[in-house]
Amino acid sequence: MSDKLKQIIKKQSQKESGQENVDDVVQLVGFIIGDEEYAVPILSIQEIIKPFPWTRVPQVPKYVIGVFNMRGAVIPLIDLRMKFGLSPKKHNEETRFIVMRDGDDVAGFVIDRLTMAIRIKKSNIGPAPDTASGDDTMIDGVGKREDRIITILKVKKLLLRDF
Amino acid sequence: MDEFQEILQDFLVESFELIEQLDQDLVELETRPDDLELLNRIFRVAHTVKGASSFLNFDVLTHLTHHMEDVLNKARHGDLVLNPAIMDVILESIDLMKALLHTIRDTSADAGIDVSACVARLDKCAKGDTDIEVPETTVSAQNKTQEPQEEEVATDDSDEPDYDSMDADELEAEIERLLKQRQEEDKIKREQKATNGTADEAESNADSDAEEYVPVAKTPVVVTPARKPASFGEDSDSSDDARAASPAKKQSNVEQTIRVDVKRLDHLMNLIGELVLAKNRLIKINDDVEERYEGESFLEELNQVVSIVSIVTTDLQIAVMKTRMLPIGKVFNKFPRMIRDLSRELNKKIELEIFGEDTELDKSIVEEIGDPLVHIIRNSCDHGIEIPQIRLEQGKSETGTIKLKAYNEGNQIVIQIDDDGKGLDVDMLKRKSLEKGVITEKEADTMSDKEAFALIFKPGFSTAANVTNVSGRGVGMDVVKTNIEKVNGIIDIDSELGVGTSMKLKIPLTLAIIQALLVGVQEEHYAIPLASVLETVRISKDEVYTVEGRSVMRLREDVLSLVHIGDIFEVERVLDSSEYAYVVVLGLGASKLGLIVDTLVGQEEIVIKSLGEFLKGIEGIAGATIRGDGGVTLIVDVVAIMDMAKHVKTSAIVDSTSDAAMLTREKTKASDYTIMIVDDSKTDRTIMRKALEPLGVTLVEAGDGQEALSILKQGDHSFDAMLVDIEMPRMDGYTLATEIKKYNRYKNLPLIAVTSRTGKSDRMRGVESGMVEYITKPYSGDYLMSVVQRNINFRSEFLK
Repeated sequence: MSDKLKQIIKKQSQKESGQENVDDVVQLVGFIIGDEEYAVPILSIQEIIKPFPWTRVPQVPKYVIGVFNMRGAVIPLIDLRMKFGLSPKKHNEETRFIVMRDGDDVAGFVIDRLTMAIRIKKSNIGPAPDTASGDDTMIDGVGKREDRIITILKVKKLLLRDF
Repeated sequence: MDEFQEILQDFLVESFELIEQLDQDLVELETRPDDLELLNRIFRVAHTVKGASSFLNFDVLTHLTHHMEDVLNKARHGDLVLNPAIMDVILESIDLMKALLHTIRDTSADAGIDVSACVARLDKCAKGDTDIEVPETTVSAQNKTQEPQEEEVATDDSDEPDYDSMDADELEAEIERLLKQRQEEDKIKREQKATNGTADEAESNADSDAEEYVPVAKTPVVVTPARKPASFGEDSDSSDDARAASPAKKQSNVEQTIRVDVKRLDHLMNLIGELVLAKNRLIKINDDVEERYEGESFLEELNQVVSIVSIVTTDLQIAVMKTRMLPIGKVFNKFPRMIRDLSRELNKKIELEIFGEDTELDKSIVEEIGDPLVHIIRNSCDHGIEIPQIRLEQGKSETGTIKLKAYNEGNQIVIQIDDDGKGLDVDMLKRKSLEKGVITEKEADTMSDKEAFALIFKPGFSTAANVTNVSGRGVGMDVVKTNIEKVNGIIDIDSELGVGTSMKLKIPLTLAIIQALLVGVQEEHYAIPLASVLETVRISKDEVYTVEGRSVMRLREDVLSLVHIGDIFEVERVLDSSEYAYVVVLGLGASKLGLIVDTLVGQEEIVIKSLGEFLKGIEGIAGATIRGDGGVTLIVDVVAIMDMAKHVKTSAIVDSTSDAAMLTREKTKASDYTIMIVDDSKTDRTIMRKALEPLGVTLVEAGDGQEALSILKQGDHSFDAMLVDIEMPRMDGYTLATEIKKYNRYKNLPLIAVTSRTGKSDRMRGVESGMVEYITKPYSGDYLMSVVQRNINFRSEFLK
């Protein structure tokens, strides 16, 4: 019995030591807007929901399409296609609202399609290209995968009011 | 340490309460310097603070209060006459005391404030008049201190003789000990008496009974309602007694009240808000269920539950609102002192009368209105009340009066500030505003007196010829307006030249939950706070006139300027405007505006939610609320709308002729034509599909009217024609046709009825609802095809 226990404890400690490496790995959620794949840190996502009705708000930029009710809280809804300068698109079966949070700031973002949860080594993340660096950019970095690259977005910047 | 913190908290709360009372008492004292009772009360406050602070080792505070006590003590038995100069020093020392208490609250220590100068002045006052030996003074002080208490408590002289042999310090300590002891005895005796119900105590007893039901949030001010303002100078002796007893009374009442952290109340209020929303939703669902299962027995039970929940929620909401209520006296209390300081500073004689300080308001509002009231009262003192000579010349009494009243009026609290000063000069106001470019000449000419009075709230406006320390820097009154509007309040001014000015602040009882009028424009809904809605009227298009590019209408004797809510909120006109529109007449103080809406939805209790950091400050939107169906409805900011209406281009209800033209896109192949088939029967749909497939047109199917309508709304396809069955669940063909015809862009969409109903009246109804063709089942495929071809202008070259 005690042997079994020891084994379990050993396993657990192995797991824990394994998790130390996790620090070097970033967990992201990937999604598609237009033709490109973007990602945001998984911890900044409060929830991902299917589209439902929202209310238009006047006197805001086009990409702020309105507000919606998330369990009693009124939350702004931002269309990332329009924010990124693409033409608006009808919502379809794959459209999702990603609700992101940074501190007290919360907003829902309309994306075309989810891809997957991504674990990526920090060493595989490069800085944003020179043309899109500086304080103004929404791009946090570029993650390199075997077959493709993913643009990692700054949630803080996404949630910042810029009008 | 925790225990110390607890004691410290109690000490601070108690001290602030005492000081609040002190301010008013001191001002009162100035008018009645001989009132021994008053003096004693003031002395006791200084003494209590001193005692407690020495216990808590706040040396600076103890030092200061000790010297204050000296001066007051002398005054108490007539060794010192309180003249205004001495009062100034005493008031100064009380300000210092407040500052010290604030420092203690923030840092738990009383360092950092220099009291030595003030202490020196206090000493000078104390010594100034006469040089009495200390022991003698204190002994007599001892006697006098006891006097008021002896009225209620049997005298106990046994310790008296010892004092002669003591030195000053010892004596001081002994007195303090005795006082404490006596207060203790006092308290016990009073408690005993309370149970016996002695005649003497009947009054205070009744008071304490009343206070048992005081809601929790009120605790910090338990003492205030019992106090009378300066104007009620001639108090009867018995009420004086009751007041003297109030501190002790409070102690015996401790069990009945609890101090509650405001955060908890706020949280409770938020939860209630959620509950109100859920209740609204429940009521809506109940209505739907009722409609669907009419006559079923469980409905009655459901109805009962829903109404109980609804009633309890409303009661709960009121109960929680009440716990947050504070008497407005809390704000009013600081004004007697302020008026006193101002009248000395301005060399005017001003008297303040306060009425209705028991009127209760939500805590958050009480906090918000303090500053605006200060501004208004300062303004009245500075600009309103004239200097004594002028007042006498005009045959008024030398002393100006400012009346401060608070009272309930419906769902609002009205705070009224009246002065009997020189009043507002309309011509002068207009001239000044013109000079400063606040208004144009044309505006000045057409302006009513009320509108002219409202000019003083314009930013950058100040009527004082001389800028004084008190007012006239051009900031202030516009701040007043913004602050009052922040709590959804409105300001109403009335004034008569030479007679005085009256300002009314109308403020809603609470902030979080309000009554609103829900209006519809196109497919959107908006909530308008009911407090600013004067009336609603239905008008037809030809009642709207255009004057200088603005829409106006006649409303009885007045001309009302109109603005369409759709123009303000950039609403897309997808629906055809109907013959009639509704005008919501908004009123805000003196100004009025007619807001044109398409429909009136009804009145509802709504919970105001903020739009959050990201969307804050959108012009015209005050917030949002969640409706019974779970959707979000925006709340209109009436103040902002009134302003925006001035800049909005008119379009009123002049209908924008249909933009159906954009639908007719160039057809290059047969599949560019799109036709919707609406029928609840799959078989019928298949028959139609088979009949039309040879044409090669695109076909979209819908199972009923609702589905057809939502496909249309999505706008994924632009349809050239629709084949509509009449008998369908959820929404029949007639209703569908009527709905479709409401949309500008579908006005000219050919609707073809395909039905087995053959009666003449059915055909008539079809035509009325906008159907262009009427095909009766059974029909031949060729016939259907030819009808469709004709209606969509199918080009023959696409035919195979």
